[in-house]
Amino acid sequence: MDNVIETRGVYRHFGEEQARVVALDEVSITIERGEFTAIIGPSGSGKTTLLHIIGGLDNPDRGDVLLSGTNIADMSGNALSDFRRDHIGFIFQAYNLIPVLSAEENIEYIMLLQGRPAVERRERVQQMLSMVGLEGLGSRRPGELSGGQQQRVAVARAMASGPDIILADEPTANLDSRTGIALLDVMRALNEEQNMTFVFSTHDQKIMDRARRLIVLEDGRVVDDQRR
Amino acid sequence: MLVLRLAWRNLFRNTRRTVLTGLLLSLSLTALILTNGLVLGMVELMVGSVTKTLAGEAQIHRRGYLDDFDAELFLDNIDDITAYLDAAPDVAEYAPRIMTGAIVTSSYNVSAGLVYGVDPVRELGVSRLADALVEGEYLSGGRREIMIGTEMASLLEVSLGDRIVITASHARSGEISQDLYRVSGIFQFGLTEMDEAMAFINLDAARELVGLADGAHQIAVQFTDPELAKNREHPLYQELSTEAVEALSWLDFNPQIAGVIEWSNYSTIIIGVVLFFLASIGVVNSMFMSIYERFYEFGVIKAVGTTPGAILRLVLLEALLIAIASCVAGNLLGYLASGYFQQNGIPFGRMEMSGVVIEKVYTRLALTQFTAYPVYITLLTLTAALYPALFAARITPSEALHRSL
Repeated sequence: MDNVIETRGVYRHFGEEQARVVALDEVSITIERGEFTAIIGPSGSGKTTLLHIIGGLDNPDRGDVLLSGTNIADMSGNALSDFRRDHIGFIFQAYNLIPVLSAEENIEYIMLLQGRPAVERRERVQQMLSMVGLEGLGSRRPGELSGGQQQRVAVARAMASGPDIILADEPTANLDSRTGIALLDVMRALNEEQNMTFVFSTHDQKIMDRARRLIVLEDGRVVDDQRR
Repeated sequence: MLVLRLAWRNLFRNTRRTVLTGLLLSLSLTALILTNGLVLGMVELMVGSVTKTLAGEAQIHRRGYLDDFDAELFLDNIDDITAYLDAAPDVAEYAPRIMTGAIVTSSYNVSAGLVYGVDPVRELGVSRLADALVEGEYLSGGRREIMIGTEMASLLEVSLGDRIVITASHARSGEISQDLYRVSGIFQFGLTEMDEAMAFINLDAARELVGLADGAHQIAVQFTDPELAKNREHPLYQELSTEAVEALSWLDFNPQIAGVIEWSNYSTIIIGVVLFFLASIGVVNSMFMSIYERFYEFGVIKAVGTTPGAILRLVLLEALLIAIASCVAGNLLGYLASGYFQQNGIPFGRMEMSGVVIEKVYTRLALTQFTAYPVYITLLTLTAALYPALFAARITPSEALHRSL
């Protein structure tokens, strides 16, 4: 199997002197294509920081971050934006979508950034909506969708660009239990059917139960790594 | 199109703020259109007052005559000049005049005055003497006719038909000469100096009074297009000016008005700069509020791959859309407001400025007000929006996502 994500000795701190906090301390992990992985740990353990560094939203102080073989640790500006656009899909905790665009337009937006032709964009939007079970709701704006439906649109948007991995930061945090499970089932199905790699940062037991691998962080260090 | 839709809809996330910002810009444009319309109207009034009331758009004299109005400095032979003026395509009308200082005496009083000898027919084309008539008749060529102003009539305690004696001096010899006239008309230009001190008689009678067979002290000229008068390089000025004769534009024989007009033009610029400055503060404030409200969202769209350049363009596009909508509204409001005052005028009471009476100014519409000014407003808006746009473009996704959560 090929490695989609590889971090080598990633170190990141915030603040200086007495306020200095080490968020990640020499974190080295490898995630293979098709894995369904949850990064877990108590608050302040460095989960979100690790997810942001893997996603190119933040740069480590030192160490390497290889995504599909490309080291993004030192990338910045447009090159990093373009890399994220083409290789990484993001799902955040909430307010993922642009509220003034419809569900279809939110999904289309990322493909517009990629410069794909309009006909192709429209076709793929319908595919993505169908994939997450939102046929017929594409013209609705986020405010007209339930929390679970909004997160499904976020999944569809993350998938639309054809990324190598999808990073999800507490995607079920604002959903009730049933809606959260339904969303996770959608993502799990995508993982199994399309071999899409998912990496979660979470406290949610439902995600932990469904994850095939759990990476446990404490005080910025990997203290456990279980495959199931 | 999607980006355009996004920018347009972003404007209506907070409709009240967008409308207020748009109002600020459109009212600034309206104010600028009105200000410029007022300035143009005032300039037109002042120029018209100078050139149409009596003086003409151009004047031809013996060189030095304007220094102290010495009656000896007359144009001896005006045939060559009038032949030139008759043939000049740009000259609409001209009128020769005799001008002399005189003592004006009635049965009851005496006054100093400036007596004009005019050709009544030609004078109709260059001045508003006939229009200023408030009593009696305009000159018809009669030997004893005289028109005086209302103030002079009051001072001399005369009315229509009363006798007046003019005492002047011969232009060549300086000998005293006198003649008797009967008040045939009373005029009112509205300017005290003119209504108190000027009197008009027929040209031939005036020549007889100052002892000239022909000749004139002044030839007033009106061009076919008033703008031609302002061109000091115009052939009329170049070809009629000699060692003895000078042909002058109103800009030269009435430099005070030219100065006031130049100042008026600067006033549009000054008001424009102040308005633009205030409007730009409003735009910067509004754009920053809009960006701060969307801080997390900018983090998300940057995270999914939107480049800083695309964010910069999005914010500038939002500013451009506000500017365009504001300019359409501002142009419409400006047209309606300036159009109204073009018809009805703006009352100024009775203001006298550089010898011109201003009672009502009628604004003037000009194409540049509706083309150049909106372009300035749009450029200003984009310039003002550049700073918030750069701020938005530099938002770090991780910081935005952390801060808002």
